[in-house]
Amino acid sequence: MPEQIAGQIIKPDLNFVKDIIASGGESLKKCYQCSTCTVVCDVTPGETPFPRKEMLYAQWGLKERLLNNPDVWLCHQCSDCTAHCPRGAKPGEVLGAVRKMTIREYSAPRFLAHMVADSKYLLLLMALPVLLLLGVIVGRGVTGIPDGEIVYTKIMPVPAIDVIFTAAAVFAVLSFLFGIRKYWAAMKVGTKAAPRGSLAEDVVAVITEFLTHRRFRKCSVTQERSTSHLLVFYAFAGLALTTTWAIVYLYGFHRESPYPQYDPMKLVGNVSALALLFGISLVVVNRLKNAEKAGKGSYFDWLFLSVIFIIAVTGLFSELLRLGNIAVLAYPVYFIHLVFVFFLFAYAPFSKMAHMVYRTTALVFARQTGRDR
Amino acid sequence: MSEQSSRRPHRILVIGGGFSGLTTAVDAAETGAEVIVIERNPYLGGRVAQLNKYFPKLCPPLCGLELNFKRIRTNPLVTLHTMAEVETITGGPGDYTVTVKLHPRYVNDNCTACNACAEACPAERPNDFNFGMDRTKAAYLPFNQAFPQKYVIDGASCAADCGKACREACRYGAVDLEMKAETRELRVDSLVVATGWDPYDPNRLDLLGFGKVKNVITNMMMERLASPTGPTAGKILRPSDGKPVENIVFVQCAGSRDENHLPYCSSICCLASLKQVTYIREQNPGSKARIFYIDIRTPGKYEKFYGKVKEDPNVSFTKGKVARIVQAEGSDDVIVEAEDMLTGAKVKVQADMVVLATGMEPTGASRKVSGVGYNGDGFVLSVQGVSAAGCSKNPMDVARSAQDATSAVLKAIKTGQGR
Repeated sequence: MPEQIAGQIIKPDLNFVKDIIASGGESLKKCYQCSTCTVVCDVTPGETPFPRKEMLYAQWGLKERLLNNPDVWLCHQCSDCTAHCPRGAKPGEVLGAVRKMTIREYSAPRFLAHMVADSKYLLLLMALPVLLLLGVIVGRGVTGIPDGEIVYTKIMPVPAIDVIFTAAAVFAVLSFLFGIRKYWAAMKVGTKAAPRGSLAEDVVAVITEFLTHRRFRKCSVTQERSTSHLLVFYAFAGLALTTTWAIVYLYGFHRESPYPQYDPMKLVGNVSALALLFGISLVVVNRLKNAEKAGKGSYFDWLFLSVIFIIAVTGLFSELLRLGNIAVLAYPVYFIHLVFVFFLFAYAPFSKMAHMVYRTTALVFARQTGRDR
Repeated sequence: MSEQSSRRPHRILVIGGGFSGLTTAVDAAETGAEVIVIERNPYLGGRVAQLNKYFPKLCPPLCGLELNFKRIRTNPLVTLHTMAEVETITGGPGDYTVTVKLHPRYVNDNCTACNACAEACPAERPNDFNFGMDRTKAAYLPFNQAFPQKYVIDGASCAADCGKACREACRYGAVDLEMKAETRELRVDSLVVATGWDPYDPNRLDLLGFGKVKNVITNMMMERLASPTGPTAGKILRPSDGKPVENIVFVQCAGSRDENHLPYCSSICCLASLKQVTYIREQNPGSKARIFYIDIRTPGKYEKFYGKVKEDPNVSFTKGKVARIVQAEGSDDVIVEAEDMLTGAKVKVQADMVVLATGMEPTGASRKVSGVGYNGDGFVLSVQGVSAAGCSKNPMDVARSAQDATSAVLKAIKTGQGR
């Protein structure tokens, strides 16, 4: 590292330092470069390991070295470093803040990234799906709780859902593609390394790693985190499968919802929803339990956790209230559910949800450049 | 009060008979004050007595201590109590009443240190003077040149069914197993707290393997290993198999400058390690030493010593704190892990023995004297009438402790004059 820096003129970006501090890295300046963090880290490569060097870059405001750096995603915030840090500098939290800033740096459009990262825009961001979905309901002429058997299409027809959510998903995918391209190019400049080898093979290798959370399992201070995260991960996979299945039912077999409980699709959906609720609750419990050792997390973390938690709860209650025939609650809960699902989808490129895309990109890049084999 | 003090000499109680306490006592007595020294151990000299050599001149500890012992022996104004502890302090500047508990030594002043009691004694105890690296009989002399030169019987280790072999073995009637603890009440004008320090407990450093990994020792244990009066008679042999140490690693800041342990710098551990490097280099010409550090801190003129050690081609320095220590597979060697910050790579280094440079924890962290004020780390807060001297107040080396003791004397005798 010093060889790289020696003979160069360092241009510290003080605003970047302030930005990291504001993004959850408030303990950054306590670091006195002893490198305990790097030694206790079980997920860092041995050559030019992290996070000690990242702490130095962050203190000095060397923005490019952090935002063009795949290493920040090799970090899984085990918090072994934070727990053993002799100064309370919380390297895990600082790298978390850098990841958040990476997401903000590369996701387009930028203004949305800033809004998602800042709690004062929360209501404004919520207003979009609320107004959009209310527009559909009012447009349909629904003015109160519909009578008769609870069927959610009474307030929200399938085509409206399809249009709104497909639009949100397409927007998110485009934004992600744009971000991946920019980030990939930036990492090439930042690491001065040329990717080589089979891209497909490396993508498969990274996804295989995700399926088992192999790296995540090396964490020791917060070991339970990998289990809860794995649960949420598979819950999302199950829910994605359910959604695809439902599309096939609807458009392939022209079967309308609601479907009976014994339907295999329903079964997968229900199990996944329960797994999501359980998993995300575990994530929250672990976070609270580890707060003293690992740091309390930022708005960015908690917004994401809250959105998933609300989606899981409102999703399950939409179903239970429908089965219990409590219309006066069922329809509003369903409405809230849709608002939050929209929130998760449309703002995914700017929220912590984006970690899955940026982490995948960075890990593939790391493999392609021989940083992580 | 001033009237009273003009009629009789100032009376000063010094708590602690280590280097700071002894210096306080002789300096105060030589101004004409009456001094009482109470010491918890059965011997005087404290931590300095355990060192092999000490700064600034790298003399053996008895050099400096012997001088103080002589000044004390020849000065009738100094009274000594070993195996003594303060129970309560009441009153205020110029008029304190201190109750002191004197623990039984089971050996009286008739003792000639002939060793007959120890030879007869069937019971053993771990030798705390050598940090448990060897054992003594329950009747023992703390160390060769201990002052007072009197044996002591460890009541806790003494097996009651031994038939009182020691008493029968003693030709001088010095063994008195009926001796009881007694409490004395002392009236003094002022106090000096010189209770010193303990090595930070290495068992609390979970990453550094002490007690779990063989041949990981502390810097104070290294002093005993290198000392001619130590468990190996000064041969630096590693504990697990007695192999002469060829290749040694020093781990600086083991628990120091660490908010999870000692949040401050003890200011002496860098120099201690540099000094210990010279022990091994002088004893074993082919040996290699490596020091892992965050910053090497050798204040003032000690920087020269650092420069001298650095010139030795067999000594290397690596910037980066050791944060993992494990046993080498299939051997008693030790592997330390750190980041070499100057190359930016993680390194694993195998060594015969590893020395943890643990810091100074003031005794106030674990054993407070009731009636004395302490800060959050256990360092003594001086007030009028009760001053601190030496490492009970701040980590410092022996030379500074001596200066600090002299300044404590000035404060103590001023209190006696009612200012």
